[in-house]
Amino acid sequence: MSTETEGEGGSVGATGLTDSDAVLMIASAVALFSLPWVLVDGFGIVAEMLDFSIGGYVGLPSLILIYGIVVIGYNLLLGYTGLLSFGHAAFFGTGAYVAGVVSQSVGSPIVMVLAGIAVATLIAWPIGWVSIRRTGVYFAVITLTFGQMLYFWALGPGSWLTNGDNGFSEVGTGPILGTFELDSAVFPNIGFLQSYTYEYVFIAILALLALWIANRILKSPYGLIFEALGQNQQRVSFVGLNVQRYKLMAFIISAVFAGAGGALFIMHENYVHPNTAYYWIQSGDFVIMTILGGAGSLVGPVFGAFIFEYVANVLSGLSLPVIGAIGSLWRIVLGAVFVVIVWTFPKGVYPGVRDFLVRRGARDALDRLSDRVRNRGGESE
Amino acid sequence: MSLLQTTDLVKQFGGLTAVDGVSVGIDRGTVQAIIGPNGAGKTTFINCVSGLLDPTSGTVEFDGEDITGMPPHETVQQGISKSFQTASIFPTMTVEENVQIAAFGAEHGSFRFNFLKKRSDYNAVQDRTERMLRSVELWEDRNVQAQSLPYGDKRRLEIAIALASEPELLFMDEPTAGMSPDETRQTVDLIEELREELGLTIVLVEHDMEVIFRVADKITVLHRGAIIANAAPEQIRGDEQVQEAYLGGAEI
Ligand SMILES: Nc1ncnc2c1ncn2[C@@H]1O[C@H](COP(=O)(O)OP(=O)(O)O)[C@@H](O)[C@H]1O
Ligand SMILES: [Mg+2]
Repeated sequence: MSTETEGEGGSVGATGLTDSDAVLMIASAVALFSLPWVLVDGFGIVAEMLDFSIGGYVGLPSLILIYGIVVIGYNLLLGYTGLLSFGHAAFFGTGAYVAGVVSQSVGSPIVMVLAGIAVATLIAWPIGWVSIRRTGVYFAVITLTFGQMLYFWALGPGSWLTNGDNGFSEVGTGPILGTFELDSAVFPNIGFLQSYTYEYVFIAILALLALWIANRILKSPYGLIFEALGQNQQRVSFVGLNVQRYKLMAFIISAVFAGAGGALFIMHENYVHPNTAYYWIQSGDFVIMTILGGAGSLVGPVFGAFIFEYVANVLSGLSLPVIGAIGSLWRIVLGAVFVVIVWTFPKGVYPGVRDFLVRRGARDALDRLSDRVRNRGGESE
Repeated sequence: MSLLQTTDLVKQFGGLTAVDGVSVGIDRGTVQAIIGPNGAGKTTFINCVSGLLDPTSGTVEFDGEDITGMPPHETVQQGISKSFQTASIFPTMTVEENVQIAAFGAEHGSFRFNFLKKRSDYNAVQDRTERMLRSVELWEDRNVQAQSLPYGDKRRLEIAIALASEPELLFMDEPTAGMSPDETRQTVDLIEELREELGLTIVLVEHDMEVIFRVADKITVLHRGAIIANAAPEQIRGDEQVQEAYLGGAEI
């Protein structure tokens, strides 16, 4: 931990390299604003060279960041507080339907997101209140049940609002701040920036905001308490903190992120179906993304969302010798990727790669040092 | 008036009466030792006061207020803290964070919905954390992961956590168990310091008679969940019933 700063004391592992907020935000901004170019154009060039369609398409970067926002929040619950929810589609789906309904009267994307967040938060309160009273498997099953209740509600009794099995498609998203159409390119005249739509910029700004907020939460007393809850609940109550209250807070905070993600999702797809909104597999995907990328590290889950969506949307279009088209078999590919990654990096991609680089960096530094010592030894002889 | 007063406190586990009608008052600013053979009900008694267990019957009053059946986080907020018999720490958090969280616990409320203010900006918390870590001589190790501390240091971290919640009354359940003679001496010094400097009231469960006779103002002897003696150390030393029940007639 050579990068630790004085005042902070530095939390072990979790923030090692990203102790400075400014560095984190700048690095993230650079990463997010180069993502579409890398994914669409960069990968596209490689794809052409290999004659293999592995390039992303316009829109994929948005989708990655939408799920990224969801799992940044979800990770506060799973990675820090240690609560495995199998029902976060409840808040994602609610954010989506609410934003969709709101868009029919107010098309402002900002209003849609705020409305999605508001209602997701509202339902997270009672659902969380009930769920956190149980731990471990029981907590997981209770959240799963709530998610499935909403799924069947959306398919049946809620059809008047959700349009049931036909899906909700009457989305009337307007321009941002009344000016910027989501689908238009920000730089229509610059060829290699065609994948930068206003939608992407909007989502990327929200993703940055999500990172900033999550980072601040983790550095506030709440972050400490969430992490402590993940390690020793009894001790938390014996330092005078109400365990249920803070678990509920973590639950609701994670629902805020999921609600925002849902609202952006319907904006992006112009359509939502109970299967993509509320189905339990959607909840499970959040878990997979988070663990894949690195539960317990701030930015890790975003990498998980990237890998997940890349496999789901790009690799699924590949055709392999012997096997043929991957197509709907992409989940098998994802499974393999998951196993390999968890095998090589048990803590997830991001912490794994980071630790690897840090260790290599430390080794290089040691090598350089010993070289210098040896050289000096040589001089004095 | 006593700081803590229990009246006819009973705790049953099924057919077993672990605490059997304990009425005891603990005076402000004193060190009270609770002794008794293994299984006498010492830990259970503490748990009933601190809220980890609900007593089957009887009442607990703290500072004149009825706190019977209050959950732990509330009894801590009232001013009762405890160091656990087996160190109860946050293993992969740093030593400093372990104490910091308790210091935040003592702040209950001050950060209510303030999700965005950094921990490092809470000066009172930082100061208290440092003070507690220095008093148990762990300040130098503040950036070490708690789980990698040697056993004795873990126990002292445990005490620092208990202290950081700013208690008036501190329960210490066998604080020197498993410590080396040196560490035991340090811990005893610490206990005496705490009483003198912070004016703490301490309830100490301990097996080491030397420790007890050095620090205790009063000794309560539990046997099968009931009090068989409650008196000053000199008197306990000469009490035949105690000799019989607890010490098996051995010299102390
Ligand atoms: N949670 C429990 N459930 C059932 N029996 C218990 C429980 N906790 C303690 N006991 C029993 O209560 C008695 C008192 O235990 P304890 O308070 O731990 O004694 P001490 O701390 O004095 O060694 C013992 O017989 C013990 O087995
Ligand atoms: Mg005990």
